[in-house]
Amino acid sequence: MTPSLSMLGPKSRVFAIIALVGTILGLIFSAVSTLDYAAHLDRNLHDVHCSFIPGAPAEAEAEGCRAAMYSAYSAVLKEAHWGGLPVTLFALGAFAFFAGFSVYLAVAGPRASAVAVGFFAAVATTPSLVSLYMLFISLVRLGVVCETCIGIYISSALVSLGGLMGLLTLRKPRPSPGQEPPPARPRMSLLFPVAWAAALGFSTLLPSAVYATQAPDHRPYLNQCGALKRPPAEKDQLLSVTPPHAVKTAILIQDPLCATCKALHQRLVTEHILDRLSLELVMFPLDNSCNWMLDRPLHPGACMVSKAVLCGHERALQVLEWAYDEQDYLTRAGKRNEATVRAVLQQRWGSQMVACVDSKETAERLNRHLHFAAENGIAVSTPQVFLGTQRLCDEDTDIGLKYTLKQLAPEVLP
Amino acid sequence: MTSERNQAPNWMAPVLGVATALLVLAVVLLSVRGAVSSAAERLVHPKAERPQVAVAADAEEAYCTPRFKEVLERVLHSCGLTEQGGRRGCRPADVKTFASISDEDFNALFAPLKSRGGVIMFDVGKDELDEGAKKLLRDRWMDRKGARYFFVVARASKTGTSASNRALSHRRANSVMYFIKELASDDPEVDKKVGLLWLGEEFAQFSKEYCSWTNSRPDKKCDEDAINRTAFVSWVDCRL
Repeated sequence: MTPSLSMLGPKSRVFAIIALVGTILGLIFSAVSTLDYAAHLDRNLHDVHCSFIPGAPAEAEAEGCRAAMYSAYSAVLKEAHWGGLPVTLFALGAFAFFAGFSVYLAVAGPRASAVAVGFFAAVATTPSLVSLYMLFISLVRLGVVCETCIGIYISSALVSLGGLMGLLTLRKPRPSPGQEPPPARPRMSLLFPVAWAAALGFSTLLPSAVYATQAPDHRPYLNQCGALKRPPAEKDQLLSVTPPHAVKTAILIQDPLCATCKALHQRLVTEHILDRLSLELVMFPLDNSCNWMLDRPLHPGACMVSKAVLCGHERALQVLEWAYDEQDYLTRAGKRNEATVRAVLQQRWGSQMVACVDSKETAERLNRHLHFAAENGIAVSTPQVFLGTQRLCDEDTDIGLKYTLKQLAPEVLP
Repeated sequence: MTSERNQAPNWMAPVLGVATALLVLAVVLLSVRGAVSSAAERLVHPKAERPQVAVAADAEEAYCTPRFKEVLERVLHSCGLTEQGGRRGCRPADVKTFASISDEDFNALFAPLKSRGGVIMFDVGKDELDEGAKKLLRDRWMDRKGARYFFVVARASKTGTSASNRALSHRRANSVMYFIKELASDDPEVDKKVGLLWLGEEFAQFSKEYCSWTNSRPDKKCDEDAINRTAFVSWVDCRL
């Protein structure tokens, strides 16, 4: 028997202590994430905690955590509640149960029944299974990993590790000569696991029930963010994209090098909303090389990439999605100079595209998009969504998106 | 047996476990409830105004001085640009009346537009646009940037009578306007963008130094007569 396994003899409490450490960390990370989410119910933008270190200060940027927070996977029942019920609420409830059970196993030691140890091993694997699923989504769907989420994943792994190590304490040790065999673990009715499972379920659901009952009604605020002064006209030469199943006209103000535009686009795709919108795309690059409304370039290179989207013609959406996919690369190229962006466009889309991007006609068309924005007096920010002519508030296009659409345009929800 | 006596009673572990779970759950519920209630309170009674966001608008360049804007505004109002179906353009007499400004001061107002605008040149007694004029006009029209208004200030040299020059200047302004309408055939509001002035020979004649401005006949001789057989065109980057 190795020294480490010898620590897991019938009397060992190490496994329960490991699980307890995991639950405490899990509670901290889940609480931080939940409270950050709940703070946004006031419809303002708040700093977000995004660190492996519990207690680290909140940050304004927190790109990975914000992307995860605004994603379609951060909460459930998003159509019924503004922002939905964050999944970390369920983690909080579950960790509360695991905390109690770990304390019980740690105090009881060898007097805990085999049924209790086995039950704990079984249910302690669930946080890790959920964490693996969420990690997969982060890596594959979102392309970013949120540090606080990783904290929860690690905590879950510790709980699962503790639970599974508990099974080792159930092995019957070989009696040493002259040594009294350890006392047998007490027997327990199999009804107990049923009751514990019910308690686990109750504990898991209770925080979300409290959250749902306390959450404010956002309906009065949904149409308070203004409207276009005039609808788009032919002279504006906006980009029209109408999928076959479109049921509602929407105007999207976009900058291909804006990270939040990319995130919004991904949400619309993931939620199967984009297919149901007849889009009028307004390119609004936050780059003063073409946009006179800025005194410095927030996204250098965005004018040129916007022109490339316009030059995409019937493939405009494809070019825009390519720009989103390559956003980091294009942003770096833009910071270098326009020639580098031009080279990237040439490499991907060929010389015809570059000729179109450099033409006066394309510059004039992009200028018309900017004038459409100016004539409507819209905010100098991206992204913006207009349903018909009614503007959706920024907060209603991120965590409140599905709820808002359910209220204002339920037909666009699949 | 000694070790068993030192152990905690059998009821202790489950009681501690349940108490821990309930305590943690209570803290969790109170925290969640507090955070959500606090957000709801801030929603209903916001403590601070939301930060103001810049609003998209037409460009406003440094040359848009109060005097410049005054003249611009008078042109827009007096010459019917801002009224549907109103009179189009300003005659020399109008300009003299509404501008209340000397010839030199009037021309000086347009000095900042030297690089932005262009001088469309015409033949003696003619109002047709040649290829060079169309090209310059097309280039200037497409180089709109953030401007809202396009100005056409037509002139005539002192050759001929005042009345004929006034009419000629008017026709030159109209020639430019017709071509702009061709360029902007998809814009039903082009009339609201273009401000027309025809100055004839009576007001604000260009001096020869304006020959250095970009014109549609860069290879031809430019003198004081030639520079006044023209229409000056430019987008104006001012808000009103």
